Amino acid sequence: MSTLTLRAAPPERLDLLRVNPLSLSGLSVAEASRLPVGTSRRGLLLGDCFTLALDGSDTLTIEGGSDRLDRVGASLSGGHIRVVGDVGQRLGEGMVGGTLTVTGSAGPFAGSGATGGTLTIEGDAGDHAGGAAYAAKAGLDGATLVIRGRAGNYLGDRMRRGLLVVGEAGAFAGSRMIAGTIAAASVGDHPGYGMRRGTILARAHGAIAPSFVETGTHDLVFLRLLARSLRALSPAHADLAAGALKRYSGDLATLGKGELWVAAG
Amino acid sequence: MAAWVKGGAADADAAIDAAAALLAQARMPVIAGLCAELSAIRAAYGLAGAIGASLDPIAGPSLYAELGSLSRSGAMGTTPAEAIGRADALFVVGNAPWDRPIVASLAEGGPTRGRAAGAERTILSLGGPRNGATRHVAYPAEPGGLAIAIAHLRACAKGHLADETAYHDLARRLFAAQYGVVLYAAEEVGEHGVEMLQGLIKDLNETTRFFSLPVSDPFQGRALLQLSAWTTGQAPRVGFGRGLPEHDPWRFDGARQVASGEADAALWLASLPAPRPDWLSRLPSIAIVGEGSADATADAAEIVIAVGVPGASAGGAIWDERRGAIAYIPASGHAAERDAAAVIEAIRDRINAGTLAEC
Repeated sequence: MSTLTLRAAPPERLDLLRVNPLSLSGLSVAEASRLPVGTSRRGLLLGDCFTLALDGSDTLTIEGGSDRLDRVGASLSGGHIRVVGDVGQRLGEGMVGGTLTVTGSAGPFAGSGATGGTLTIEGDAGDHAGGAAYAAKAGLDGATLVIRGRAGNYLGDRMRRGLLVVGEAGAFAGSRMIAGTIAAASVGDHPGYGMRRGTILARAHGAIAPSFVETGTHDLVFLRLLARSLRALSPAHADLAAGALKRYSGDLATLGKGELWVAAG
Repeated sequence: MAAWVKGGAADADAAIDAAAALLAQARMPVIAGLCAELSAIRAAYGLAGAIGASLDPIAGPSLYAELGSLSRSGAMGTTPAEAIGRADALFVVGNAPWDRPIVASLAEGGPTRGRAAGAERTILSLGGPRNGATRHVAYPAEPGGLAIAIAHLRACAKGHLADETAYHDLARRLFAAQYGVVLYAAEEVGEHGVEMLQGLIKDLNETTRFFSLPVSDPFQGRALLQLSAWTTGQAPRVGFGRGLPEHDPWRFDGARQVASGEADAALWLASLPAPRPDWLSRLPSIAIVGEGSADATADAAEIVIAVGVPGASAGGAIWDERRGAIAYIPASGHAAERDAAAVIEAIRDRINAGTLAEC
C-alpha cells in the first residue's frame, strides 16, 4: 500500500488529478515528488506538501485530509484510494472504476460525471454531490455514490445513471435528473425539480412541488429489486424500499417520467 | 487624482507603488467587482494573467444564472428593439424587471411590424409587485418561489396538470399571443428557474412565437462576459494561478476564497457604482473606485485610488441596455487625471519592473 502523508495544512488548493495508484505505480519517490499539484503561481509539487511512501501497489492511502484537496480520485480507472480526513471539490470526478473512500467530509460536486466504481463518503458532502459541474454533460453517470452523513443542496442534479445513497439531503435533491436512482433517509424541499426520469426514494421529505402528483401506493417488483441492491450498501435504506411507500409522479413540467417514492403513513 | 494608503492621503504614484508591492507578494490575489469600462476590465484581465490572480465580477450571480441554463439547454432570445416592434404579449416574471425602462417602453404602445402588427399589446405578470402604474394582468407566484411557480405554469401549459389554479388561464393567454416576450432577471429567477422558463418558451414555440428577454445586470456583466470570452475563451470566473485561464465558478468565487482564507490580497475595481462587499476589509486590499463616489474614501481599503468615471470624467465603452450592445460613452465633464485602465496598467508595469515575490 502506497501512502501520502500530508505534512501541514496546504497553503493553497491542491489539484490531485494526477495522483492515483496507476500514475504512481511506475514512479520513484523522487519522480512522484515532482508531480505538480499547486494551483497558484508558486508551483507547489507533491513532495512540497506530502511525505511519500510508494510500493507500486493498486492501493493508495492519503493520510491527513484537507478541504483544499481537489479532484482526489478524479478519472480513477481502477485500484483503491482511501483518504483519512476531508477532501475538497470534485471528489472522483469522471471516475471510471475502482473504489474511493473518504473518512471525513467532501466539498461540492463529489462524483460528478463518474461512470463507474464506488465512492463512499463517511462524513458529509457539499452541494451538488453527484451533480453536474458547470457546462458538464451530466452528474453521476453510472457510478455508485454513498454518503453516510448529510449532503447539501442539489444532490444528484442532472444525474444520468447510477445509484446515490445518502443520509440526509438538502433542498432540490434530484433536480433536473435525467435518470438513475437516489435513496435518502430524508430530502429537503422540492425534490426532483425538473426531473425527466429517474427514481427518488425518501423516508421523509420537505415541500413537494405542485408539478408532482400523487399516484397512490403500489407493490412493484422493481421496489423489491431496489431493496435487494441497497441491502449491501445500507440496510436502513433497503428496509425503506421494502416498506409501504407512496408514489408521486413528476416533474410534470418536463417529461414527467420521474418518480418520487416516500414512506406511506 | 485622489489616493490614500493605509488611511493617509498619498499621491497617485505612491499609491500605485504600494498596490504593486501588495499584489507582487500575494500567493492568491483576487480581482473582484469589475464594474467598469471595457478598457479597465481588459487591463484587469491582463494584470491577473501577469500575477496569477483570479477574477470574480460582481455581476457573477446574474451571469451564471443565465450561463448555467444556456450551457445545458440553450435559449430562445430577442432584443429590446424587436420586442418593442413585434410583441403583442409581454410576460414579466418576478419583481426585478419592473424597475427597468423597457417595461414602460413596451407598455406605451403596441406592435408595429410583423405578424402581430396593429394588435393590442397584453401585459401579464407572474410574482410581480402588482405595479399600478402599468396596466397588466397579475398572477401570484407559488409560496416556494418563482422557480416553483414557473414549473407549475409549465406543467399547466403542457396539459399535464388538471388542477384548478389560475395558471391554466395564464397558459391560455400565453398561447394566444402571436409574438410573445418573457422579461425576467436571471439572478432573481435562479439557474433552475431560468432553465424551466426557457423550457416553457420552447413549449410555447410549438404553437406560436415566444422569446426571452432577460434584463441585464446593472454592473456591466454583459460587456464583461464578451470581453472575458474573447480574451480567455471562458466565462468570467477564471484564475491564472497555473499560467493559463482556468474556468471554475465555484473555486473562483471571491467571497468564498476570502471566507476560506485562500485569497491573501484583493483588488476591487468599480469605476462605475457597485456595492463594495463586506469581505474587502478582511484582507489586504486595493480599491480602484470612481472619483466622487461613496467609496472614494480613505477607509474603503488599505490602498484607495480614485479614477475617472465613464460618462462623467472619463470616456469608455460600456453596456448600453437599450441597444443591447457595447457602446462608447464620452466624458460629459472635465476629464480625470487618470482612468482605471491607466492605473491598472501602471500597477502591472511596476510589478513587471520589479521582481515578483519568491516562492
